[in-house]
This record gives sequence, structure tokens and C-alpha cells, in this order.
Amino acid sequence: MKLGFYASAAAMALTAGLTAGTAQADGHLKFAPGEGAFSWDSYESLKAQELSGQKVTIIGPWLGPDKELVESVIAYFEEATGAEVEYSGSDSFEQQIVIDTEAGSAPNIAVFPQPGLAADLAAKGLLSPLPDGTADWLRENYAAGDSWVDLGTFEGPDGNDALYGFFYKVDVKSLVWYVPENFEDAGYDVPETMEDLKALSDQIVQDGEVPWCIGLGSGGATGWPATDWVEDMMLRINTPEEYDAWVSNELPFDDPKVIAAIEEFGAFARNDDYVSGGAGAVATTDFRDSPQGLFASPPQCYMHRQASFIPTFFPDGTEVGLDADFFYFPAYAEKDLGKPVLGAGTVWGITKDSEAAQAFMDFLKTPIAHEVWMAQRGFLTPHTGVNTEVYTDPTVAKMNDILLNADTFRFDGSDLMPGAIGAGVFWTGMVDYAGGKDAGEVASSIQSTWDSIK
Amino acid sequence: MNQLLFAVSTIVVGVFGCVAYFYFSNILLDRVFPAKGPNAGTNINKANAIRPWLFLLPALLVLGLYLVYPVFSTFVLSLQDTRGSFIGGENYTWLAGDGKFRESLGNNLLWLVIVPAASTFFGLVAAGLTDRIKWGSVAQSLIFMPMAISFVGASVIWKFIYDYRGENQGEQIGLLNAIVEGLGGTAYAWITMPFWNNIFLMIILIWIQTGFAMVILSAALKGISEETIEAAYLDGASPLQIFFKIKIPQIWGTIAVVWTTITVTVLKVFDIVFAMTNGQWGTQVLANLMYDWMFRGSPDFGRGSAIVMVIMLLVTPVMIWNISNAHKENR
Amino acid sequence: MEMAGTKSRLTWAVNLTVGFLVLLWIIPTFGLLVSSFRDRDAISTSGWWTALSASEQNAIVRADAPDSAKPDGDAWVITGNVSEGEGGQITAFGITSREPVAFAPGEVATHKRGQQITVEANGDYRITYPEKPSGSRGQRLFVRAEAPPSFTLDNYREVLFAEGMGKALLNTLTVTIPATIIPILVAAFAAYALAWMEMPGRALLIAGVVGLLVVPLQVAFIPLLKLHNNIGIGKGYLGIWLAHTGFGLPLAVFLLRNYMVGLPGEIIESARVDGASDFAIFRKIILPLSFPALASFAIFQFLWVWNDLLVAKVFLGTGEDQAVMTGRIVDLLGSRGGDWEILAASAFVSIAVPIAVFFSLQRYLVRGLLAGSVKGG
Repeated sequence: MKLGFYASAAAMALTAGLTAGTAQADGHLKFAPGEGAFSWDSYESLKAQELSGQKVTIIGPWLGPDKELVESVIAYFEEATGAEVEYSGSDSFEQQIVIDTEAGSAPNIAVFPQPGLAADLAAKGLLSPLPDGTADWLRENYAAGDSWVDLGTFEGPDGNDALYGFFYKVDVKSLVWYVPENFEDAGYDVPETMEDLKALSDQIVQDGEVPWCIGLGSGGATGWPATDWVEDMMLRINTPEEYDAWVSNELPFDDPKVIAAIEEFGAFARNDDYVSGGAGAVATTDFRDSPQGLFASPPQCYMHRQASFIPTFFPDGTEVGLDADFFYFPAYAEKDLGKPVLGAGTVWGITKDSEAAQAFMDFLKTPIAHEVWMAQRGFLTPHTGVNTEVYTDPTVAKMNDILLNADTFRFDGSDLMPGAIGAGVFWTGMVDYAGGKDAGEVASSIQSTWDSIK
Repeated sequence: MNQLLFAVSTIVVGVFGCVAYFYFSNILLDRVFPAKGPNAGTNINKANAIRPWLFLLPALLVLGLYLVYPVFSTFVLSLQDTRGSFIGGENYTWLAGDGKFRESLGNNLLWLVIVPAASTFFGLVAAGLTDRIKWGSVAQSLIFMPMAISFVGASVIWKFIYDYRGENQGEQIGLLNAIVEGLGGTAYAWITMPFWNNIFLMIILIWIQTGFAMVILSAALKGISEETIEAAYLDGASPLQIFFKIKIPQIWGTIAVVWTTITVTVLKVFDIVFAMTNGQWGTQVLANLMYDWMFRGSPDFGRGSAIVMVIMLLVTPVMIWNISNAHKENR
Repeated sequence: MEMAGTKSRLTWAVNLTVGFLVLLWIIPTFGLLVSSFRDRDAISTSGWWTALSASEQNAIVRADAPDSAKPDGDAWVITGNVSEGEGGQITAFGITSREPVAFAPGEVATHKRGQQITVEANGDYRITYPEKPSGSRGQRLFVRAEAPPSFTLDNYREVLFAEGMGKALLNTLTVTIPATIIPILVAAFAAYALAWMEMPGRALLIAGVVGLLVVPLQVAFIPLLKLHNNIGIGKGYLGIWLAHTGFGLPLAVFLLRNYMVGLPGEIIESARVDGASDFAIFRKIILPLSFPALASFAIFQFLWVWNDLLVAKVFLGTGEDQAVMTGRIVDLLGSRGGDWEILAASAFVSIAVPIAVFFSLQRYLVRGLLAGSVKGG
């Protein structure tokens, strides 16, 4: 009904959240087994394993509503096997998992938001390789299975590669969010190509409005939204192979191809006419506040490029698909690079092996583990064996289509780079760049840090 | 309820255990070296030589285990690379050449000069003045409040001060910019303002630490004997003279304590920088740089530990100053 | 007469200065307090100081779906109120995002698809379609409204009644109280020894304590947790008490020693001459006299442990029986943070106990029991 007037919607959302929490605490399953389009046979088959009295501890980055979602999935494992699972979320996940594994009080399973850290732990021998056959399973059951196997394969302490990480829950990043009715009011069409997108941006400027909302602020992680922009641009002006080479630093960071991608981002973010608040506001605007501009009256901007999770930060009561929608961040028509999609995902790894932990990892392979979350919200999966009918939210289904139909899927490069780069100087460098520093200069300083950690 | 019982009983056991240790160890010492009998003289000397260590033992044990040992292992780590092999001083040579490290060192020195001075000054003013007025204890609680607020709370508080909205991004929600615009100026992204952004971050720590300085100094001021003040007052000294000529010299030792403690806090300052800028726009400090290397993405304990050793080195002048103070007290 | 005049002027000056200082210090916190009663959208779109007065805001409201239009003569009509009975005066309205305030209340706007729309000053709207409309997407109405100050208790409700918060409070107390008392005890004895007992290497020990003040906690976590795991303590209350004791001890010893060293030597000397043992001197003279210092350290240690999340995350388990309040509050925030309204409310929920502790200990921050004879540190 309402888009941001008085606050009653917020109160309703609150009570809903609270009741959901209590329901789970009672151990009730979100969806009754046997009902709906879920793959219940995969749930029934779990019951073959009896794990009463065994405990699995999991630590991950999800808190609040996300924690409730992951717990709603876990409940099915507990119910079927009798094992007890304790999930705990942390706001400083990276620090905690490092301390816990190094000190020898690791949980059974860790959910890594970035594969880079998992690779590090694997190299130190703090992760257990996944059971044999997992790689084959991924190849058969995940769309583009080979790439998921590659992404989860790290070098172990002995120097041999093994599969350590299992991807479960994926985000699509190449999305542009907009308010369809604002487009209608102004007579704009959703652009199909990057050329059109730039023409549309110019058109909006000519109409005396501001096309983009861009915010890089994120407290201790300020700058990361810019890395997504640059990665998307890399895939739109360079080949996927060059992207891979860049991520592994075979293509140096200060290569003209990379600098060109940074400047493509700059064409948007450093153009005072293009961004709400002017280029000076880009680095300090919090990424969580940034999309609010779409919903202002009159609109402060018309488009916002951000990953699939961003609706959490839309004003209370915003209905995705109605009040806001998204389109694919388009590719250049003139460059023959297909439709590349940038994504990210969480990697699950075993930090302390046990029978129950292995059983839990097997559980993540079952369609039901994916469907329970899919049927709620914000869950994308490359699992081809799931029944996509369970998506209650057509927009999420639309995102999953983007994911499954991509010509090229590439994982978030900054997540794959060494932490000092991908969660360090790449972020800070992009903030410097948005603040007016020369792209070449920024790129070569990032490269020099990279050289120093080799 | 069980847990409450458990907690209460541990408190009781813990506290009584502590007291019992001190009590019985002292009795034991007196038994072993009785202050009477043929060897009374030597016994007293022996007992007096041992007794301080009885008093110190628990503290030394805990400090040794919980702080000295980690410092030692940090030192060892600082000589290793990510894979744990010994690389000598390589991490230190890398530090010396790192631009971010030099920036952090410079910023830390700036913090060291400004924050302890400002916090101690404001704390002294607050302690001295609230002592004299009726609503003093209320005023003290209000100034103390920032100390009590959780760190996450404090970071939100200052977001509402320094926030910046560009043209067309709606009205300002940061107080500072609202005031500037109200006075006819143009809003500014304060935390990106070179050099000055450091000062803006320091203001946060000063705002927090003033409460600490005030509480300690206020206790010391109240410890000054009334007779001295009374006497000075009768001699016709003005309240200001009394404050500066009589009170300040008497609490000089406490001022040194406050200054030292805040200096140490400044060396460790991390949260504020982490949450407000994460060291960007030229605001990096050593502790945050350390955190970056230790826990960000791919941890490099070697480099992180080397930075910790530098932080520890920076405190040496303060240690020396305190040693000389302690010598003076021995009179 | 003149004396009295100067005195009262001085009192005024003191009162004003303190008032100014206090104002400066609480304005930021006051902003947080106001924000804790606002909802998220309000917090991120307008300054907290505007919350106290009526303000003019632009808003977008979606009218009822065309499906629900009722026949009225030849036309089809939808009626309703944009503020849903919550009051507020409409000063302008519009029907496209391009011109959100094009019309005055009561004027009739004609949509490009033919329907006629009007919004009255009291918020009543009426949409008249020439033909039966269809679709479930309601017309967007853009209004500028004089909004009365609006506050909500929802943020507090969410924090206070969050699942497990009561248990978490209990856990926090279980951590905090022993972690405050044990270091005080241990430190008081050590401080006395360092202040009043003759021993070799005393100055070095004092300097060592100062040096240990600077150790960043982060470096201690891994070796200590390893140690706890090896000796079988693992993660639990005992471990966190010990950890907080260790981390708080340097400050405690440092503060207490410096206070004790300032106590009048004559009393201690004369007690010694009278044959009192060090233990007796400590218990009967030093402890009572040191109350202000003990109380002030107790306040700081309590605060630090109360607000700590980091040490708890490392040394305590994560299960329900060990989760502390700060941890529960972080759980309430989303994975990506930014729920400023919850942060604000929880900051005030968690400040209540420390402030109470401060108040109750504040009266001990006065002259020692032998007032007058203490000359201060």
C-alpha cells in the first residue's frame, strides 16, 4: 500500500520477524513435509542416517533475518537425522574463524563469504578436504559444474590441490535496480546494451535529472561496491580469459586493459552529472543508504547497480517487482563478449571433521536444502536438480534465470584475490580513484602491494 | 536459575579463594620465619624479603600468562612469513619501506600529541569545576556517559555528526553539515578532508576519554586535604590560585597516570578508525594496519606482529618516564 | 560585600562553564537518543533535530488497486486516504515522479491515461476512471505533507523482547561480575607491594606493567585460546574470567599503585612500628583509604567487560547458555549492518546498567574514610 509515509509497515514487519523467530525455536519445520512442490523424497532419504546425540557446530557470516533463514534450512537436517546443529553468526567472521582454527577450537563447519580466506586456511591445513566424489557430484548437478569445482579447489598443506569448498547460496551482482513507474513517467526504456545504457544516462542528464545512485561507504569495508563495478566492466570490455588472468595477477593490475575497466567505472562514478550528490559524495555515501535515492520524491536518481541482496535496504514496505525492479547490467553490443554475469557465493568447508559434519555437507547436496531457502527469499542456486516452482518470488526466479542463462559466469574477482588485495588495497585504491586520483597511479600502487606479498 | 547459582558460587569461591590465599600464605610465612626466638632478626629480614612476592605472585602469574607470553609469541611470529618459516628481519624491512606504515606512524604521533593532552585538559576542567557546584554529580554522569556507551553506539552517534549528503541527495542528516549549511556555507564530506579528518576522528576519542580523566582526577582532587585549602583561603588566595598553585601540584602524580593511560589507549586506537574510515583518506593508524594484516582476507601474522612490536616500542618513552617517576617517589 | 559579589559571579561562571561543557558532551548522545525513537527511513532521510518539530515531507503513496474501483454513475471511482487516518496536512500533490508537487490540494489532475485524480488537504483522495479499470497495481500518488513529529517504541520493543535477551542479560552478568571483582583483588595486593614494600627491581616491575598496558588484545587471542584448549578449560566462563582478569590487570595495578603511593607514609610507618603486619596494614589502612581508586577502577573494568563483544566471541562458546547481550544485539542487526535504529535503541538499553553502576559507585569517589589526612596521589 504505502511506500514510505508513516511507520506502520515497519511495525508489521517487526512482529512478523519476531513470530518467525519463535516458531523456529520450537523446532517446527517451515514447510510441512509432503506438501507443496518440494523434493520431499530427498528429505526422506536423509532419514537413513541416524545421528542422534551428535552435534554439528557451524559458524558463518549471517546474522539477524539471514540467520533465521539458514536455521530454517538446518531444522530439516536436525529433524531427519536427529543430530543437533548449532549455527552462530559473527559480525567479525574473518577474525573469529582465524582465531578459532589456529587455536584449535574450530567449529565443524565454516561458511566463508569469500573463497580467498578458505584457500588460506586450506593451505595451513586447517580445512579438511571434502569426501571423494563431491567434485563429480558438482560437475553433474551444478550448472557450469566445472567452474564451481575449480572455485572450491585449493592447494592443501602438502601442496596438492583438493576440493575443500562447497558452494551453497549464490548472489548475482550484474543487476541494475530501478523504479519501473519512474521510468514510465519519464518515458524511459530498459536498456538492452551498454551503449543504450550510456545513452539513457545522457538522456536523463539532458532532462535535468540524475541517472545514478552510487555509494561506496561500508564502514570498515568501504570501497567494495566499486570493485564490483570494475569487475563487471572488466567482463564487458575484456575476454573472460583476461579476467581470469587479472584475478590471478598473470595480467598485472596496472595493465592498460585493467586501467581501461577502472576508467569505465569512472565514466559513471566520476561524472558529477551522472551521480546523485556529485562525484564527491560517491565515496562517503553508505552503500546501504544509497538506494534510498531511487524512492525519493522527486527521485534523486533513476538507477542503482548492486547485487541481488540490496532490497533489504529498500524503504520498508517496498515490494520488489512492483515498486522496484531490476534489469541485467548490459554488455556492449559492439564487443562480441556475450552476456557476462558476475556473481558471488558462500563457500562451506569442514574445519573439524566428524561423521555428522560430513553428513551435513551431504545434506547441502539434497534439493530440499536448497528449496527450503528458495521458497522463502533471496536464495539463488546453480543446483539443476531443484524444483524452481518453489520460488514464491518471481523476481528471484528471474535472477536465477540470469544466472543459469549466462554466456559467461565469473566469480567476484576481489573475493578470489589475496585478502591484502581483494579485501584491502583494491578497496582503498578504488576509494582513492573515486576521490580523483589517476587510474594508472592507483592501479600501479595496487600492483606494487601485490608484488610485495608474492 | 542454576546458572545464577553457579555464577554466585563462583564469585564467592573466587573471592574467598583470593582472600584465603593472601591470608594463609602470610600466616604460613610467619610460621616458617617466626619473628621470635633465637633467629628473630634474620627471620624478619627473610620474611620481609619474601612477603612482597607473596603479594605479587597472583598478579605476576596472570600477567605473565595472559600478556607477557603472547607478546613473546608475537615477537617470534614477527620473524616468520605466512607459512611459518623463519625469515629474520624481513617483515621489519618491508615495514620500513611501506607507505601505509609511514602514514600510520605519522598519524599515530599526531594522535599521541593531541588526544592525551586534550582529554586530560577537559577532564581536569570538568573534575575541578563539577567539584564546586550543586549539580556536580549529575554533570559528571553526563560527561561520563560516552565512556559507558558501547562502541557500536558511539560509531552511530558520530555518523549523525559527520554525515555528508551531496547536492540532490536530500537534506543533511549530519549535524555538522546542517549547521554549516544553516550558516550559509556549503556541506563538506568531513571524513575525507585531508589532515583535518584525523582531527575529526580524534575528537571522538577525546569525547570518550574525557570521562575517564574526569573520574580519576576528581577522585584525586577530593583526596587533597581540606586544611591546606582552608589555610590558603584564609591567606586570601583566589579560587583560581588555589586550583593552580595548590591543587594541581598535589595531584601531579595522578595527572601523569591519566596521561600515561590515555597515551596507551591512543597507541591501541583501532575501533574508531576502523568504523569511521578504515584508514582511508590518509587516516590509517598502526593498530588498524595491524588488524588489516592479521585478520583481513588472507592473514599474514608475520607482518601484523611486526607492526605490534613497533607499537610496543613506541610506548618505551612512557615507560622510562614512569620509571623515573617511581624513583622519585622512593625519596 | 565585594567578596560576596566576586564569589557569586564566580559561581555563575563555574555553572555556565560546566553547563556549556555538559551540553557539548551530550549533544551527540542526545542525537542518538532521539534517533532511537525514530524508524529507519526517517533516520536516513532527515536529521534527528528535525524529528522534534513538524516537518514538510514528500512522500509516495500507492492508492488502492484499479480492480477495486466501484461504479459511480458512468464512471468508476476509488477513494481512500493517503495517510490512513494518521493525520497530517497535505500541502501539494502530483501524479508523476517528474512533478510530484504540481497541484494544490483539491485541484483535479488528469492522468495521461484519462483518469482524474484529486487529493484533499486532509489526505482523502478520489480517482475517477471513465471506464472500468483493471490491474492490481495501484496508482502512485505523490504528496507533500505537513507531518507531525512521529516517534515509535518499536526499536526498543525489538531489542528488549528479542528472543533470548533475558538469558543473555544473565549470561552477561555472569561474565561481568567476577571479571570485575577478581582483578581488583589481585591488583590491590600487587599494587600495595609495588607501592609500599621494599624489594629489588620494583621500578622495573612498574615499568613492565606500563609496558603491558599497550599490548593489543588481538595478539593475545590465539596463544591464549590455544592454552585454554590445551589445559582443558576450553571455551567457557572460567576462561573468560581469567582472560578479562589478565587484560584488565595492568590498568588496575597501575591505577591502584599510583593512588596507594600517595597515601600518607606516616600512618603506615607508625602502624609498622606498632608491630602490625603488612597484611594487617593492607586490610585495615590501605584498603579503606583506597576506596576511591578501587571504585573508579571497578567502574572502568565493569564498563569494559559489559560492552565487550570481542573477548566474549573468542573465549566463550556461542550456545544459548553462554551468549552475551552484545552478541545477541549484533544478531539483531542484519548481516550487512546499517540498522541504525536498532543500534541506537540497543545502545541505550545496554547503557542503563553501567550508568546505574556509575551512580552507585560515584558516592565512593569521595574522600577516603580518614578524610583530611590523605594527601592524594
